[in-house]
Amino acid sequence: MGAKTALQGNRPFLFRMLASSLVRRRSRLLVALTGIAIGATVLLGLVTLCYDIPRQLSREFRSYGANLAFVPVGGALALDRGLLEKARAFLPQGELVGLTPFRYESVRSRMLPYTAVGTDFTEARKTSPFYRVEGAWPARPGEILVGGDVAERTGLGPGKTMPLDGRNSRRERYDQEFAVVGVVITGGVEDEFVFLSLSDMEAMTGEEGRVDLAEASLSAGKDELERIAGAIKAALPGVDARLVTQVTRSEETVLAKLTSLVYLVTAVVLTLTMICVATTMMTVVLERRREIGLKKALGADNRRVAREFLAEGLCLGIAGGLLGSALGLIFARVVSENVFGRALNPELFLIPLTVLVSALVTVVACLAPVRRAVDVEPALVLRGE
Amino acid sequence: MFWKMVTGALRRQKSKRLMVALTVGLGVSLATAMLGVMFDVGDKVNQELKTYGANLTVIPRGASLAGDKYRFEGETEDASAGAEDAENYLPEDELYKIKMIFWAFNVVDFAPFLATRLTVGEGPEAREVVFNGTWFNKTLELPTGDKVTTGVMPLKSWWRLEGEPGSDDHFDGVMVGRNLAAELGLGLGSVFTAKDASGARRSMLTRGIIESGGDEDDEIFGTLAFAQAAAGLPGLAQKVEVSALTTPENDLARRAAADPESLSRLEWDAWYCTAYISSIAYQIEEALPGTRVKPVWRVAESEGAIMQKTQLLIVLLTVLTLLCSALAISNLVTANIMERSVEIGLMKALGASNLAVSLLILAETLLVAFLGGFVGYLAGLGLARFIGISVFGSQVVVKTVVIPLAVLMVLLVTLLGSLPALQAILKLKPTEVLHGR
Repeated sequence: MGAKTALQGNRPFLFRMLASSLVRRRSRLLVALTGIAIGATVLLGLVTLCYDIPRQLSREFRSYGANLAFVPVGGALALDRGLLEKARAFLPQGELVGLTPFRYESVRSRMLPYTAVGTDFTEARKTSPFYRVEGAWPARPGEILVGGDVAERTGLGPGKTMPLDGRNSRRERYDQEFAVVGVVITGGVEDEFVFLSLSDMEAMTGEEGRVDLAEASLSAGKDELERIAGAIKAALPGVDARLVTQVTRSEETVLAKLTSLVYLVTAVVLTLTMICVATTMMTVVLERRREIGLKKALGADNRRVAREFLAEGLCLGIAGGLLGSALGLIFARVVSENVFGRALNPELFLIPLTVLVSALVTVVACLAPVRRAVDVEPALVLRGE
Repeated sequence: MFWKMVTGALRRQKSKRLMVALTVGLGVSLATAMLGVMFDVGDKVNQELKTYGANLTVIPRGASLAGDKYRFEGETEDASAGAEDAENYLPEDELYKIKMIFWAFNVVDFAPFLATRLTVGEGPEAREVVFNGTWFNKTLELPTGDKVTTGVMPLKSWWRLEGEPGSDDHFDGVMVGRNLAAELGLGLGSVFTAKDASGARRSMLTRGIIESGGDEDDEIFGTLAFAQAAAGLPGLAQKVEVSALTTPENDLARRAAADPESLSRLEWDAWYCTAYISSIAYQIEEALPGTRVKPVWRVAESEGAIMQKTQLLIVLLTVLTLLCSALAISNLVTANIMERSVEIGLMKALGASNLAVSLLILAETLLVAFLGGFVGYLAGLGLARFIGISVFGSQVVVKTVVIPLAVLMVLLVTLLGSLPALQAILKLKPTEVLHGR
């Protein structure tokens, strides 16, 4: 019975001591809180970024162009457009940057032979962001792009017209005049081609539904791409889905390096920051030896003193952790918006984790100096050394 | 007296001063490592991005690239017609000049290519295959006396090779594409024959099997000398692929690429002396007259984008980390000074002026901070090295500019951290402080 009342009477006292200690020592409290909040800011900010950076970088790597190609399988000379639409259903929409069909035709213009490419310009801009277009991208029917080498040889450019003629597979003649709106330069074979929209090409040749090749750009790793390619091959016998190895393998190598760079930097920064937080806490606690001595002289036992300090540390840790979490989210947002131009979606479960780690580091940092302080003779400390 | 007091304080309150030294040391090591990585990360990432292959293609002025990648059953055949003229080829023995340009040091690797068609099999089974002749481990002796070794393998880092790569010492040793090898039933060490354009039989030894995921899986790669003999084009090549380290494009580079004549003298110098892809292309064209050098924008432009993003990311991380560690240090210094109110009160009671007390405390704190900072700098060098080796497999060279930056940081941070606390403490009345508030 007596023990129970003592315990009951104890609790408010503990809280009162805590509160008064927190209020009385405002400046010191501020120092400790700032230290912890800085630690928590760095912690949450960096860990959030670490979570997001591989994904963001993977999107950046899409500037290298398509990483999955669809080609006709076996004896078939072309893909069917319907088949391509079926293949599209296998691509995860969230990760799909673009899916571009290509159809190639041999055409002539003013007696000279050219390769005309029918494609979807909106998708091509997404899958091949490295196409440099001088002039404008075609927006209306009847508008075309010519490759840089074609433009150089023939003097064609924006504002000029280019007649195309040829024969379709039924040996029927066709010819049509197109308006050149831009010159495309890639440094590759595309410089030799003439690009028109797939629907223009179908209208011109009178043949619909044929696609020779399609390229997809997905922000996905090699393993996932292989899985998707396998699923498409198994379900659609007319299509072969191939990884564009130059892009996927190189991306794998470089992305792994960049990710491990960010992880390593984060680990180093976090370790050092946490030690900083600990040293700040230690300083704050160390200077309170006199207070500890006084408490002990007044009859408090070691465990009581230690418990009080740890409870104080815990409160500080939680408060600093919460403050730091808010700042950390801003930190991560600033970096993400400046570097990648996209707001990041924070992983909310990281916030309680940050608070937990801050509280833990604070308490552990208090532990060592408190243990040393409580071992001290009260009389010695109170006398001033 | 002043120094005696300073050192005395240091000796007496070792553990508290140690905390300051430790924190400053940690902050400085962080700063050194991050700044070191920041200044070097561009070069490192640039090197890594070389795995995407060549970013420049050198072709004869009259020739075109068409037909070298997409070949649709003879459809584009006539686009490369007229390829028989000698001026549509590059002389092999002048290619060393690529290593003699202003930015020669940035040319990581290059290899010439000559494609020719061989007929494999007899009668109705016969089929045409593409044979690409190239360099594997060609050693070039430059007029400057330097020797450089270059070849195709580093340009095609995404190839998976089974067996050995080709070698310029094995005239008839070849690497066969995976699909073609399966079709012809070739394994490592297999010897097979094919007819060249003139109808002569040539035998080849399969040294390696490559898997590239592209058209190369259906082709053969061998020595340039073999291709020249088979095609009857001694000493010639069709194109050269060059891999060079470049600086991301900016406005100046874009204007120069559009028309080098439009630049002023000063701009032209700046452009020529910067490793932009367009200036390297221009310099190769100067070195090899009669050629056209085309940047492969798929590689070049993406390289620039990714390098800029990575650099910006590391710069931002560095700045924010520095800010945080600066705050942490000044925070601790504040705490450290505030707890010395009694000591300061005593000094003032004994007649010390505010200036003397401030100088003493500052000298003490700075001394400790610099000691910690020096140790931290050394630790930071180690950290930067560790990051470099474990991520990129090569050392991060910490630039000397980091030293003044670190010194400045210690100085500023310690001073800024000390001053507010000092000011607050000097305002206290000695009697109050000594009485214990």
